[in-house]
Amino acid sequence: MNERFKLDDLVHFMGKKYVPVHRHSLWYYFGGVSLFLFIIQVCTGILLLFYYKGSETLAFESIQFIMAKVHFGWLIRSIHSWTANLFILTVLIHMFSVFFEKAYRKPRELTWLTGMFMFFLALAFGFSGYLLPWNELAFFATKVGTEITGVVPVVGKPLLVLLRGGEDVTGATLSRFFGFHVAVFPGIFVTLLAIHLLLVQRQGMSEPLHFGELDEKDQKTMPFFPNFLLRDLLLWLLVLNLLAILAVFFPWELGKKADAFASAPAGIKPEWYFLFMFQSLKYIPGTLWIMDGEVFGVGLFGIAGLLWLLVPFWDRKSSRGEKNKLINIIGLGVVIYVITLTILGWLS
Amino acid sequence: MNRKSLLLLVASLAFVCVNVDAQNQCIVCHESQDDTPSKLFKHDIHSTKGISCADCHGGNKNAEEMDEGMSKKAGFIGVPKGDNISAMCAKCHSSEERMKHFGAHIPLGQLENLQLSVHGKLSTSGKNRIVQCPTCHNAHGIVSPKNPASPVYALNVVKTCTQCHANAAFMRSYDPGMPIDQLDKYRSSVHGIRNAKGDPKTATCSQCHGSHDIRSAKDAKSRVYPTNVPGTCAHCHSDSVLMKQYGIPADQYTKYARSVHGKLLLEKKDVSAPACNSCHGNHGAAPPGVESVSKVCGTCHALNADLFAASPHKKAFDQNHFPECETCHGNHDIVSPTKDFLGTSATAICGRCHTAAKSVKGFTAANAMRSMADSLDDVETAAITLINDAEQKGMEVSEAKFKLRDVRQARLQSKTAVHAFDLQKFRTVLDKGMTTAALVKTEGKQAVDEYYFRRYGLGIATIIISILALSLYLFIKRLERRQAKKADIM
Repeated sequence: MNERFKLDDLVHFMGKKYVPVHRHSLWYYFGGVSLFLFIIQVCTGILLLFYYKGSETLAFESIQFIMAKVHFGWLIRSIHSWTANLFILTVLIHMFSVFFEKAYRKPRELTWLTGMFMFFLALAFGFSGYLLPWNELAFFATKVGTEITGVVPVVGKPLLVLLRGGEDVTGATLSRFFGFHVAVFPGIFVTLLAIHLLLVQRQGMSEPLHFGELDEKDQKTMPFFPNFLLRDLLLWLLVLNLLAILAVFFPWELGKKADAFASAPAGIKPEWYFLFMFQSLKYIPGTLWIMDGEVFGVGLFGIAGLLWLLVPFWDRKSSRGEKNKLINIIGLGVVIYVITLTILGWLS
Repeated sequence: MNRKSLLLLVASLAFVCVNVDAQNQCIVCHESQDDTPSKLFKHDIHSTKGISCADCHGGNKNAEEMDEGMSKKAGFIGVPKGDNISAMCAKCHSSEERMKHFGAHIPLGQLENLQLSVHGKLSTSGKNRIVQCPTCHNAHGIVSPKNPASPVYALNVVKTCTQCHANAAFMRSYDPGMPIDQLDKYRSSVHGIRNAKGDPKTATCSQCHGSHDIRSAKDAKSRVYPTNVPGTCAHCHSDSVLMKQYGIPADQYTKYARSVHGKLLLEKKDVSAPACNSCHGNHGAAPPGVESVSKVCGTCHALNADLFAASPHKKAFDQNHFPECETCHGNHDIVSPTKDFLGTSATAICGRCHTAAKSVKGFTAANAMRSMADSLDDVETAAITLINDAEQKGMEVSEAKFKLRDVRQARLQSKTAVHAFDLQKFRTVLDKGMTTAALVKTEGKQAVDEYYFRRYGLGIATIIISILALSLYLFIKRLERRQAKKADIM
């Protein structure tokens, strides 16, 4: 093997990579966990594809078939659904840890940008995948979700038609979402992931701002291979066990088949990761001055998202290696806001 | 009495007579021309209450000259036309004050009710309503509805209504689909026959349809709308004093209300459920005879009736003059049949005739049918319990639940099949249910087993993962200890 593939070179390369050890090292693991969960999603997604039928008349029944008739189909589907949620959670934690550690600063602007685009894609994966079982909740949640897209000025309406494949949520929407979920999004995601991982390998793990100020003997590190990778593996094993427990004790429910002519179930809500935005829009009055309240809300989230995305370019202090408390205050404010609104949305 | 006194009396009487004539100049003139309305009005209830011609027609009733009395200046309006006729009546009949003045205790809302009724629609001319007050009550010579001379008196009202309702040409202009044979049917009914014999207490058109407030039978507020029919009939038929006179029990409504039909119609508002008229007829209402009971029930329960007609029971029932369906199911208080009807126990119906002593074959067949029905129930209950258990455990059992419908269907079909009173046919139907129920039971058991398999599987997987994780942890610790030692040496 070594003769053929020159594995020594690879081991040597990885052995030369060091991961900084400090009191915030724990957060480094969330990138790896997110990667692991993405791999699970790809594997379980491929297995589901063997039986899933992306049409209005067969989607629900095919999931029923997977759950009841396919050997371990219930496990694969439940793990896929639970992993989707855990994936978004770990990506969120990873993103906030990078934000608070200012790991986005020069020279890692592109790593941050690719990571952010992958985060947006993770949300898109969640949104598109949610409709695929074609059940009642998914149908109406998609209706509400795509309606919000429709309020974006100028491009809203064409975007809504593009997403839905027409004016309403129909079988055409399902086919479209299926296509996005299994072909378009994974293609883009894998490309971004490759760039992201390449950059991480090339630039190494970001060190905290204070790390450079320490004496050389106090700058503790650990080899990426095998130490960090083995710790990563240990965490992956625990995550795998957690997924199995969730899948067995809380199998993902299928609910009722979607009926376009039925009235929407009471208290319909989007998935938890969209809940803070959904709840915020509920608090905004119908009309704000001369502007439609919903347009204002969507616009505000758009601007906030853009500023968040471009943080490496306007946080000049961190790039210069200086401390920037404002970033911590903004980050903390965002975390408190998201958690509070999510809880309020959950309870409402 | 002296002569002077007599002259004074005659003069006084003459003055009174002249004075009276002077106050009713309308009658004086119209009677002299042999005018019918004026003759009729003399006996009109309004006339006796002191209401004059001028109160409806305007003018000066005291004027001796026709030109003066019937002048516009005196407010003469002539014969009111169209909706003005009813409006004229309502001037008093809708006024509490005026009705009180005349000492009448008649409801005040007749015109409002009439306008809301089916007769309150516009006529073909599109200008006036179809019916005005005189259409039913006459214009002159109006008497109390309790007076046998009234066109709305119980013995006359049928004739009054059918003046229009039996007139094909007239009815066609409003509703070509509406039957015009109500009178013929009514005359053939128990109500109609008694009415024709002069019994004013029996039901006439107005007892069921109302008088001023008659609504279309399709209108949910109509007294003859399906959900209201039992209440309308019960108005008389639950009156024990009235019914006693005819020797009819007065508990039909109470029985019907607790029957399967009554619950459907009165509680669930299912208008396809039979009301009184579905079995007894409406205009031709009469109790179904022994021969026709199965025909009446068979209009809805067609399959049951056909099976019964071809069964060995048909001949036996005919010979014994048993009313077919009624013998087992009763009439007004029909309950949803259960398997308790079958067999020869104290509550079973078969056992009433098929005793071990009198009918061994029937006795055996009845017990066999009961036993089969019990078996299906037991298997179905076991299957439902398992499926519910599996569902509660979060297992996907929608297909098995769907199959349970087939079991329910077989059970329902067995309720029909029993009317053939053929053990083999009954078994064929039940066997389908038994097979499906057994299959569902197996699937339910498999789902419950699968539930435990998943938990045991998770337990084993957790042990394996934990061992792996622990081994990995120990390996990392050992590796790091070695690395630390190596670093210390260096």
